Amino acid sequence: MPEANEKTVIELKNVSKVYQMGEVEVSALKNINMKVEMGEFVVVMGPSGSGKSTLMNLIGCLDIPTEGKIFLETHDISKLSESQLARIRGSRIGFIFQFFNLYPTLSVIENVELPMRIHNYDERKIRGKSLELLKMVGLQNRNDHLPSQLSGGEMQRVAIARALSTEPSMILADEPTGNIDSKTSQEIMQFFKKLHTEKNETIIIVTHDQSVAKYAQRIIHLKDGQIKEGG
Amino acid sequence: MRFRYILKLSAESFMQKKLRSWLTILGIVIGVAAVVSILSLSTGTQQIITSQLGGLGADIVTVSPGFNRASGMFGGGGSGGGPEGGGGGTASSITEDHNLTTRDLAAIKSVPGVKAVDGMISDRLAISYLAHSATLSVEGVDPLAWKEMTTSSLASGRYLTPGDGNVAVIGSRVADGVFKQAVLLNSQITIEGKPFKVVGILESSGSFGGTDNAIIVPIDAARTVIESVAPTHFSSIQVQVQDANSVNQTTNDISSKLMLVRHVNDNTKDFTVSSAQSIQQSISSIMGTLSLFMAGIAAISLLVGAIGIANTMFMSVMERTKQIGILKALGTTNFEVMQLFMVESAIVGLIGGLLGVFVGFIVSGIIGEIGVSVIGNLGPRGGSMSLTAITPELVAFAIGFSTMLGIVSGLLPARRASKLQPTAALRYE
Repeated sequence: MPEANEKTVIELKNVSKVYQMGEVEVSALKNINMKVEMGEFVVVMGPSGSGKSTLMNLIGCLDIPTEGKIFLETHDISKLSESQLARIRGSRIGFIFQFFNLYPTLSVIENVELPMRIHNYDERKIRGKSLELLKMVGLQNRNDHLPSQLSGGEMQRVAIARALSTEPSMILADEPTGNIDSKTSQEIMQFFKKLHTEKNETIIIVTHDQSVAKYAQRIIHLKDGQIKEGG
Repeated sequence: MRFRYILKLSAESFMQKKLRSWLTILGIVIGVAAVVSILSLSTGTQQIITSQLGGLGADIVTVSPGFNRASGMFGGGGSGGGPEGGGGGTASSITEDHNLTTRDLAAIKSVPGVKAVDGMISDRLAISYLAHSATLSVEGVDPLAWKEMTTSSLASGRYLTPGDGNVAVIGSRVADGVFKQAVLLNSQITIEGKPFKVVGILESSGSFGGTDNAIIVPIDAARTVIESVAPTHFSSIQVQVQDANSVNQTTNDISSKLMLVRHVNDNTKDFTVSSAQSIQQSISSIMGTLSLFMAGIAAISLLVGAIGIANTMFMSVMERTKQIGILKALGTTNFEVMQLFMVESAIVGLIGGLLGVFVGFIVSGIIGEIGVSVIGNLGPRGGSMSLTAITPELVAFAIGFSTMLGIVSGLLPARRASKLQPTAALRYE
């Protein structure tokens, strides 16, 4: 893998994605080339319909490209089986979603534990690690609450704790402030910034929220399925 | 994901939608309960029949006149039970046809393996005791041979002995249940106007082939009161074989010998040779077919229950599309997602099976109670015996089968869940 050195977290090479909508082919992404190095804080911006969600799914290895190659760390994801991909995706990428996507029947602490249980972490370490993460996001007193008992900002903090639990190589956030008020949004973004500066986490945020952009080291502008700037 | 965790997630999801889960389970409970109670009823009934017919004696072969070509052994079995059973309507239905003769008796005696032969006559006659009268079956037997062959034991008095005149041994119900006053030992009853002294009272046998309703007298005395049977003829001939294990062989030998003596072939055969074993076998096979048929009908309700599980699981997959998406995004494999749903439907099947067996147990208990109160206590020698029987095999089978049913019903929904694309699942609202 020539250009994917050990510092590269994710690399997209000549990636295109075409959706089949009935009889019409819709080209969502055209010939995308981008690379994110370890420790970067990247924001992908673009209006709706620009292909942001498609790009987010590809970066997150939730979907496979129609053309081109994607390397997650050193893995060519097209060469992985479905279950290998699931495992690598789950352990190397920490997802944060617009609608939080917490598991509704599990308590706050169980949600943080979920990825570690999926990846068969040592039982004795799971609880301690979860408590530590919840303390970090300031929710140590809400361990046994169900997600439905939390506010939007709190749910997003649980999601952040969950995303960090497997110590992934990057945090991938899809409109993380899209569903919370602006004051809470700022708190959340401050939190991302802190993660980046203090813990040197690699962070990729996909958003159309202009106020998020100022936290980024690098901004990638996406328009009509192509990178216009910052790729 | 460890299997224990899969179990936890499945159980939680099951507990979350309580009402729907229990309704789905109800479908399985009804099916399993129906199958269990029907199978237990048929097992219990077969056990009773087997023990009742055992009262005939394993080494006894009965030769009776007439041959039922339509149902073979079973028809013969019915009339074969008559001579000793007496009280039933079976004896009277063949009274016109007492065509077994002393010549047949002699022929049977010459068959190898035959130990003793008892030519019997029987008829339903008017009996009176202390001014009360009733119509009962009277059997004339060879006193010596009968004493050898009978499986009935005495409650009081003695068996018949050679040289007895007008004496009678009576069954327990004749002694206790027929006349207004109990018939006592050494008292006198009147058969067709002739006095007979009661020298023995038999213990209750409780069985179909039993002697509870019988009045047994020496054959010579019987011939003075039974007019429907010609002097050299018998109503039936009871044969005791030397070895109970060779009953079937001896039965065939007697049959061949009699066909030779009576100049008949398979098509014109006019007698039936039956043993307790053969009657048991044919009743068992009829009961077996019947219960299989009924269980088949009950199984249809199980099938409906299984479709119910599949239906619920499909709904569950739809509702939990987003959860599936989350799990997959976080690294859960397709196979693990599939297991999640299969385990949940297996839980439904397992709980359905457990409760179904429990309900089936209660239902068959109730059927047993009703059955006993309708038919009377069927237990041998007055002991009680349940009309239904739930065996450990039946319980294990029912629970295992319903769990399997749950797994199979969950297969398609679980497959659908596992094939969901995480992107599509996460978009789903």
